[in-house]
Amino acid sequence: MKRILLSLGLVFLVLGCGSKKLTEIPVGFIGPLTGDAANYGKLSLQAVQIALDEINAQGGIGGLPVKLYVEDDEGKPEKANAAFEKLYGVNKIYGFVGPMFSSCALAIAPKAQAAKVVMISQSATHKDVTSKGDFIFRNVLSDQLQAEVFGRYVAEKLGIKKVAILYIKNDYSQGLAMDFKRVFEASGGQVVAVETGVQGDKDFKTQLTKIKEAQPEALYIPNYVAEMAQILEQAKQLGLNVKILSADGFSNPEIFALAKDLANGVIFSNSADESGMKNPLRENFVKLYREKYGEDPDAFAQNAYDAFKVLLLALKNAYETSGGVIDRTKVRDFLLNLRGYQGVSGVITFLPSGDAIKNVGIYVADAKKKTYNQIAVYKVENNQLVEVK
Amino acid sequence: MALFHLSWSEIGQHVVNGITLGSIYALIALGYTMVYGILKFINFAHGEILMMGAYAGYFFYMALNGEGVSSLSLFLFLLAMIGSMLVSATLGVIVEKLAYKPLRTAPRLAPLLSAIGVSIILSNLAAFLFGTKSKRLDYPFPNETILLGNVAITPHQILIVVSALVLMVALKLFVDYSKLGKAMRATSQNMNVAKLMGINTDFIISLTFAIGSALAAAAGMLVALEIKIYPTMGTLAGLKAFVAAVFGGIGNITGAMIGGVLLGVIETFGVAVLGIPQGLRDTVAFTILIFVLLFRPSGLLGKKEKEKV
Repeated sequence: MKRILLSLGLVFLVLGCGSKKLTEIPVGFIGPLTGDAANYGKLSLQAVQIALDEINAQGGIGGLPVKLYVEDDEGKPEKANAAFEKLYGVNKIYGFVGPMFSSCALAIAPKAQAAKVVMISQSATHKDVTSKGDFIFRNVLSDQLQAEVFGRYVAEKLGIKKVAILYIKNDYSQGLAMDFKRVFEASGGQVVAVETGVQGDKDFKTQLTKIKEAQPEALYIPNYVAEMAQILEQAKQLGLNVKILSADGFSNPEIFALAKDLANGVIFSNSADESGMKNPLRENFVKLYREKYGEDPDAFAQNAYDAFKVLLLALKNAYETSGGVIDRTKVRDFLLNLRGYQGVSGVITFLPSGDAIKNVGIYVADAKKKTYNQIAVYKVENNQLVEVK
Repeated sequence: MALFHLSWSEIGQHVVNGITLGSIYALIALGYTMVYGILKFINFAHGEILMMGAYAGYFFYMALNGEGVSSLSLFLFLLAMIGSMLVSATLGVIVEKLAYKPLRTAPRLAPLLSAIGVSIILSNLAAFLFGTKSKRLDYPFPNETILLGNVAITPHQILIVVSALVLMVALKLFVDYSKLGKAMRATSQNMNVAKLMGINTDFIISLTFAIGSALAAAAGMLVALEIKIYPTMGTLAGLKAFVAAVFGGIGNITGAMIGGVLLGVIETFGVAVLGIPQGLRDTVAFTILIFVLLFRPSGLLGKKEKEKV
């Protein structure tokens, strides 16, 4: 009897919470605001604040103000955990933008999923992030999609048939290498050697000697800059004169200081730079951002702005269709059904996995000018590589 | 015909790579072995002295030559190397005076811990002063690969082997034939008796640290060309060289040279032939260390010492 009363009480309690009239719409932001990576977090938060001001100037959602709760994770998973606990437990948020790093995103995605809080990361690229559940989204190119496009590009557009891979045993490098191998082989290519290293390794000669024996036409090195500089150097020393292919890790200009001329001509994939394509929304946003903060938003800040905008749309929709309350699953469903949203970072459509469909840019490094030139933009449609003009 | 699954050109390549790596180990191992020979103590800060030498060499070379290669570059590089050897020698002597000398009569554990402390202080100091980003030291010559059949050799590898050989032979001649060398050997045999015979053993110890540190600096600059310069660059190189010194017979200069080269070759082949996974590469050296300690604690060329009671 006691037990039944208790459960009834619990049911009423839950219902009571659910139907409590809202006085504000609480949403969150988690990102590194202090520490080494503070600059990433700061730029994104400023973008989110612009979106916040816009919605509140328009009267918020259903007449209620949107309230932004900001938490600093310093780029550390344990801090991100605490940040989420607070945002969910105390502030009762319905969704949030962030965290920025894959490690933080991987740490709290299962919690957000369990709590049915929509999470949209503007920069966590690790492929497993969105597999933590259907409440987890990202508005950035995933490592997997990057490899999907690049694997096809190398086989179909570059016409390279034999590739060797040298990757570092960490989540980023290994994930890209394995996805690339699968796609490249499915596209008719042959991976003639797969060698590995450990982060911090300086000597890759043994692996490169083996790779040279396998006689590839190109070498794919989806690693971080320090290791890639070593590999470029030692490949040349061993007389391994093949085309070098890489991934977004190569887009850090530090490579030009470490590898000098050897970085020249390296072909790699990264999020497409669509700034050459006309987008009045972005031009407007950048102008507003610059006026307000005296600096330019980076790519992640643009992603964050759009992520927050679509989150607000989803909340508005859920609030209006549920009559004054917010049904958490409706927020998620809205995002899953969102098609072709025009944002400052481009067009947003989420896959059922929660990944945003993004275009992938193909770049060539120019060591003389220390810049990267985008040579083409691609996307995958119906299992086909399609060039975006 | 091939050894296991390797082709001849692959074997040739591994030999070249192994000998180059081993020459570096040998050069660093000399510092360990000299200090051990005299003080019966392992200077675990030796790798960090190498790192400091590499930074000093980098700044000297940038000041003398800057970026780019001219016909004078190799000469300026060797000049910068001499400068960095002087800096490291001074640093080695300072460390000895401050951190080891006061502990000379303390239990054996004390100077060992002090050495570990010094190594941590030096690498953190370097991170504080120079930052944690790697610095690139440019090759002082066009480092174009020379192909012998299918085996690639670079001028840099030749420079490493030649410099190591010259420095090692010079050291060997110095220790075996000069008066100071004789005093060093006397001090290592019995410090007290040497003192009674009128040898300034404090000076000899400082000299030993200076020479060992200078050789480390030279090795530091030679590897820096390829692996870049960063605050923790000396740690693993130092440990490996320590293994090389024990392998060859610690306290024995010829042993350190042979141990170093052998270690480099075994490590390279271990990974290639036995298919040791990359992540376990560094364990090759330490597995050798364990076996040497188990079966031949005095190393390849070491003499068995009777424990004095």
